Amino acid sequence: MSTQSIKVENLVKTFGQGENSINVIDGASFSVEKGELVALIAPSGAGKTTLLMMIGCVQEPTSGQIYLGDEKVYDNKWLTRETRKIRREKIGFIFQAHYLIPFLTVLENVTLLPQTNGKSKLEANTKAMELLTYFDIADKAHSMPSSLSGGQNQRVAIARALANNPEIILADEPTAALDLTRSIDVVKMLKKIAIDQNVAVIMVTHDEAMLPLCDRILKIDNKKVISVATKEITSV
Amino acid sequence: MINLAQKDISHTFGKFIVTAMGVGMLLGIVLIMIGVYRGMIVDAESLLTDINADLWIVQEGTIGPFAEASRIPEDLKDSLKAVPGIDKSAAITFQNIQLPKKTKPVRVVAVGFNPFGDINPLNLTRIIAGRNINKSHYEIVVSAKTGFKLKDKIPLGRNIYNVVGVTKGTVSSSGDPLIFISLKDAQELQFSYSNNRIRNDRYRGIKNIESHIANAIIATVKAGYSAELVAQHINETQYKSVFTYQQQHTILVKNVVETASKQIGLFTAILVVVSTIIIALIIYTMTLEKIKEIAIMKLIGIPNSMIIKMIVQETLLLGLLAFVFGNIFSHLIYSKFPKRVVLEAPDALSLFFVILIASILASFIGVKKVISADPSTAIGG
Repeated sequence: MSTQSIKVENLVKTFGQGENSINVIDGASFSVEKGELVALIAPSGAGKTTLLMMIGCVQEPTSGQIYLGDEKVYDNKWLTRETRKIRREKIGFIFQAHYLIPFLTVLENVTLLPQTNGKSKLEANTKAMELLTYFDIADKAHSMPSSLSGGQNQRVAIARALANNPEIILADEPTAALDLTRSIDVVKMLKKIAIDQNVAVIMVTHDEAMLPLCDRILKIDNKKVISVATKEITSV
Repeated sequence: MINLAQKDISHTFGKFIVTAMGVGMLLGIVLIMIGVYRGMIVDAESLLTDINADLWIVQEGTIGPFAEASRIPEDLKDSLKAVPGIDKSAAITFQNIQLPKKTKPVRVVAVGFNPFGDINPLNLTRIIAGRNINKSHYEIVVSAKTGFKLKDKIPLGRNIYNVVGVTKGTVSSSGDPLIFISLKDAQELQFSYSNNRIRNDRYRGIKNIESHIANAIIATVKAGYSAELVAQHINETQYKSVFTYQQQHTILVKNVVETASKQIGLFTAILVVVSTIIIALIIYTMTLEKIKEIAIMKLIGIPNSMIIKMIVQETLLLGLLAFVFGNIFSHLIYSKFPKRVVLEAPDALSLFFVILIASILASFIGVKKVISADPSTAIGG
């Protein structure tokens, strides 16, 4: 059984057509192993979010191949019409802001996806409570997101991303809205999740202080993705 | 499975209820408009039903006395009695008059009839105080809506009339309250002129006009005779227009109420369209307010069907609640209207189905927004 969770080969993303076309990503190839926390860095506008959206089956690449787990999901075209099902079953998303559904309680936010995937309410609740306990916010299970602090909400968002036992977690600047202490907590948490849950985590970040906490760093350089060592990072 | 619509509504319950109440008031006005139309029909039928004559004989070539002016000799009532099949006949007049009152004159329709005649146009069950007229002159029975009471004195023309009876629910086809006076008094009020006018007319060579005129002769038909055939016979021999009860009913509903009903119908249709647009705009705004959450839900993999279900359920509930509030609102205020408003369950049921369809149509705009929402907008702040 392969330990590779994400594999991207010769991925290209072109915006526009003809003379006005522009390649944002041009021949990106890399892979991420299960249990790995990988930071994705690049200057603003270099295509980090675009790359994340392509891996997350949200935005269609122009060409290339994407493997998620053992499944090839893209080979110059989506290999399934139900990309949303792939997202629902394989991927957990964490965003800059928590983006919890404001009209659902903490528990309901966490159980929404598993229940949509056919899990019973009891089963989904049990798993959600385990996660909330893991993140030390079980006592807030029946609270509304509006009554929680930013850090607590971000932990709920991470719990939501994990609720469906995803193989991959895509985190888009999850520490952008947090102070340094909270940011370190969140990244450590992601690292722990990667190991404990055996999932591959790609975290887009601008925060250099977070990089030493990651296993590897991928950088978008000249429209390609390269691996860099922490010490090589001068500015992101 | 989590019901997203229920959770969303619970979260903004107050706002949702107030919105439904607002739309409900609009629907309440729709119900009132339909009620006004129904009231017009009931009013139009009221006097006709109370008089309950088989035949209405009016001036030739007219469709009087309600839809057109009609003048007919009073003594025709006597000659009609010789017509085969006629049982009873009586002369009757209708005229709009203003009853003088300290604050503001009251517009009424006066029915003149012979209190000693064969047919009594006043439905005695409608008398709530006093009695019917039993003198040839200066007695009057008024509708309670006029504000006059028993034993009040009302100056009309050259005379003072005593209120001897008060009725409830007696209205003309146009919804004005009815008063009842003797035929002789009615003829004097309608066909007698002032001394100045008579003098003036004399100087101009105009002779005083015959006052023994009525607006219609009403008649009943003996058992075993066809009203239609008797009507045809009178028409051919007396050179008068004759209408059966059913024909007069049709004239009232078609000619007198039809234009007003078309106006109300159009107004009601516009209100329904406006309500639909308002519901659609509310749903669109509600969807726009949630567009970030919708993008997140789409991004994390929640199927469109689940999000669309939320929008449609919210729209239907909004329509349903608005309908309930509309009914409550219309029942609270309908009695305050000056003219009769009749609220009927079948009309409310029809409106319910119209609102149901309108809500479904209105939800399309929200659904379209859901389908077109780009999940990638959730990423990147």
